[in-house]
Amino acid sequence: MHLKGSHQFNAPAHQIFKMLMDADTLARITPGVSELEETGPDTYKAIANVKMGPVSGSFSGQLEVAEKQEPESFVLKIQQNSKIGNVAADVKIDLEETGAETTTLSFDGKARLSGLLARTGQRVLSGVANTLSKQFFKALEEELENPAHQPA
Amino acid sequence: MTNYIGKAVKRVEDKRFLTGKGRYTDDIVLPGMLYAYIVRSPYAHAKINNIDTSRAENMDGVVKIYTGKDIAESGINGIPTGWQVNFKNGDTMKEPPHPLLVADKARYMGDGVAVVIAESREEARDAADEIDIDWEELPAVANAKKATEDGAPLVHDEAPNNKCFDWELGNPKEEVDKAMKQAHHITTLEFTNQRVIPNAMETRAAIGQYEEATGKYTLYTTSQNPHLTRLLLCAFVLGIPEHRVRVVAPDVGGGFGSKIFHYAEEALMIWCSERLKRPVKWTSDRSEAFMTDAHGRDHISKAEMGFDKEGNVLALRVKTHANLGAYLSTFAPCVPTWLHGTLLQGLYVTPKINVDVTGVFTNTVMVDAYRGAGRPEATYLLERLMDTAALEMDMDPAELRLKNFIPPFDGVEQPGYQTQVALQYDSGNYHAVLKRALEMVGYEKFRKEQAQARKEGKLLGIGFSTYIEACGIAPSAVVGALGARAGLYEVGQVRVQPTGKVSVFTGAHSHGQGHETTFAQVVADRLGIPLDDVEIIHGDSDSVAFGMGTYGSRSLAVGGSAIVKSLDKIIEKGAKIAAHKLEAAEEDLEFAEGKWTVKGTDKSIAFGDVALTAYVPHDYPEGVEPGMDFSSFYDPANFTYPYGAHVAIVEVDKDTGYTKLKRFIAVDDVGNVINPMIVDGQIHGGLAQGIGQALFEGAMYDEDAQLINGSYMDYTMPRADDLPSFEIDRTVTPCPHNPLGVKGAGEAGCIGSTPAVVNAVMDALRPFGIKKDLEMPLTPERVWRHMQG
Repeated sequence: MHLKGSHQFNAPAHQIFKMLMDADTLARITPGVSELEETGPDTYKAIANVKMGPVSGSFSGQLEVAEKQEPESFVLKIQQNSKIGNVAADVKIDLEETGAETTTLSFDGKARLSGLLARTGQRVLSGVANTLSKQFFKALEEELENPAHQPA
Repeated sequence: MTNYIGKAVKRVEDKRFLTGKGRYTDDIVLPGMLYAYIVRSPYAHAKINNIDTSRAENMDGVVKIYTGKDIAESGINGIPTGWQVNFKNGDTMKEPPHPLLVADKARYMGDGVAVVIAESREEARDAADEIDIDWEELPAVANAKKATEDGAPLVHDEAPNNKCFDWELGNPKEEVDKAMKQAHHITTLEFTNQRVIPNAMETRAAIGQYEEATGKYTLYTTSQNPHLTRLLLCAFVLGIPEHRVRVVAPDVGGGFGSKIFHYAEEALMIWCSERLKRPVKWTSDRSEAFMTDAHGRDHISKAEMGFDKEGNVLALRVKTHANLGAYLSTFAPCVPTWLHGTLLQGLYVTPKINVDVTGVFTNTVMVDAYRGAGRPEATYLLERLMDTAALEMDMDPAELRLKNFIPPFDGVEQPGYQTQVALQYDSGNYHAVLKRALEMVGYEKFRKEQAQARKEGKLLGIGFSTYIEACGIAPSAVVGALGARAGLYEVGQVRVQPTGKVSVFTGAHSHGQGHETTFAQVVADRLGIPLDDVEIIHGDSDSVAFGMGTYGSRSLAVGGSAIVKSLDKIIEKGAKIAAHKLEAAEEDLEFAEGKWTVKGTDKSIAFGDVALTAYVPHDYPEGVEPGMDFSSFYDPANFTYPYGAHVAIVEVDKDTGYTKLKRFIAVDDVGNVINPMIVDGQIHGGLAQGIGQALFEGAMYDEDAQLINGSYMDYTMPRADDLPSFEIDRTVTPCPHNPLGVKGAGEAGCIGSTPAVVNAVMDALRPFGIKKDLEMPLTPERVWRHMQG
């Protein structure tokens, strides 16, 4: 499945980039994520609960940040497993400064589902992905506006 | 009343079905029974690096967990296929092993890798979730044509380019090419006959029971084919002695082909039970059924038909890639070849035909016979060509067919019709069915209505389909020569009880067809006794001597004929006893209405009295054995060839692309009819399934070969409100070579209906000048997109 979208933030690219590289922030703002633990450089162990249409499940697996080019882009590699099937995704994230204090974040990638998740969830997946990305952007916006949450 | 043949007798089995008293495999609970849950691959193609069952083993209720490694170490064989189709160059078909559980890698999403056995179903399932498998995902392929391309992922290393076989039938290709060159017009279609999922109402289930005290094995299973399952299980998979194995297929809730085959789960339950010394039951859930029941169709074809200036067919050239799935199911190699290529003569006098089929492995569940099995694919191809050719040559589609039909022949006075593709049709009057259908439609009137509707901007269309199929499967010597690894005769035993009641044992298996009624009608009618005095017993290898099961519309034509053979023996023996009791010569007796009468007198003896005498032989003819119990094997002389003409009328919504099926007319010739109500029911059910393929159904795989519509939320089945009231009629051309003159009715509806609907939609869309073919299913979205150009 193709994942694609973009959102404009009122913040400079480097600030957003930093935030996205911070495990605590990410855990807080990513919908469904209950645990994000750094296991190595740019590698995280993640636990998430996600509902996709008729099926829901508890996922665990790995997140990896690759091809890091601060503050312009990186690739997020996701491998999440669950009893209802597995998700593997490669998503490229681009940050483009469109003004002094504005940045457009765009993502483009592919997610692959297997098992029960593929059999019953595929139909609603793009809808779920849109909802989740909106929630994520909204949470990220709030983080950016809240100085207490700025990473060091 | 003892005349039952031709009467719409109500189905005797329906009382138990309608009151919820049917006894299905999953209803059976044996003392000490355990429950199995099969862990299946979530990936279409993946290596198994490691399986860790330690956590699961310690969970409540878990008795044992076996993996593919245990299966491999036990030294048993995999699941065999029942048919061999070799490569054109003579090389043997590729037949890779199909283990009960895989140890090295999974080859389709749903491939079994481990089985958890526990005290309850729920405990088995919970424990299955705790098994950790280290998978290494591999690239996968679902499309049969792409799978043959260089560089495509290999399902089995031993099958280069994923080819199982390639096969050719008909006239030499050069002759067909030459005839094509002389054609005035060639119609070409390239299309996919999409994969459909059988969706029997009852999901599959199996119970294995090994009794240590007697050394006897019993398998209860949802099978259309219990004896063949026993043969495969014993001789090919587990190597256990057949006389100690009983296979029971009790009430079975629909099969449509998907329950013909011997599945891994059946052998696995026996294997587990033998080790654990307790019965073990596995029941598929609906989700599992979507991904592990053998699917149907899935052909990618290029078909070309050449015509002369007058519209006479000159030649047909077909190239098909047939998807076989990841392993070879029981009949898989036969369906796209001998059940598909052989039907490409259709009802037409086409003088030159060449068909070329490549059987292909893919990372998908097995593909095998599904209602019609090969014949719907052949019919779709021919009938889409016919309507498209009529459109392209600006001819009437009905006229074009009538012009090319094989002339009538009865198979008695006139010989059978020898086709270019190996078969000899038994009897037929093909013009009659189409003419009757045109009459029922009111064809001329409809074309006027259609012209008016078009002026008003409405998209009204009519589509035709005429078909022939090969049923009554099959003459053993013929199928043996074509690669079958079994004979396809049938067995019928008639046991007259001392009181004159009759128990009939048949190797055919009823899973919706109504054998308990139809077969009883034949027996009661022949013996002149009340229907209630006849009991039909099937589905248990310990009571029924032998059998080949039910598929290919064979039960009445082959199984019924075997019963008739035994009835003849009963009547013949009864005459000897009657002659003795009546003190008359055997040749002076006649048997009618349940009694033997001395011709020209009122001296007679009833069937029941003769039966009692046979079992209490105090006053008995010399040299005649007591008892009245005969078993017969019937091996048909030929296939039977039902045929028909189907017409669909549709209206397509211009704004939404939604197709409304307004009328459906079916005129079928299934030979003689024993129970017209049951035949109507079979036709109705078949039509619904065929229409389902045209408009609604289709398995979808993504690029990773994941089945993405494996649930009733995602896979559309036809519903009652999608269908009109069918208008059906019959002509009767008896089969000349079986004693009942019957041809088979189980698949006809499903074979003829699909192309009629698609042709009707194409006709409706004619104002758009659409030349490009639409792929099934014709969902509103697809139709709408085509209307937009």
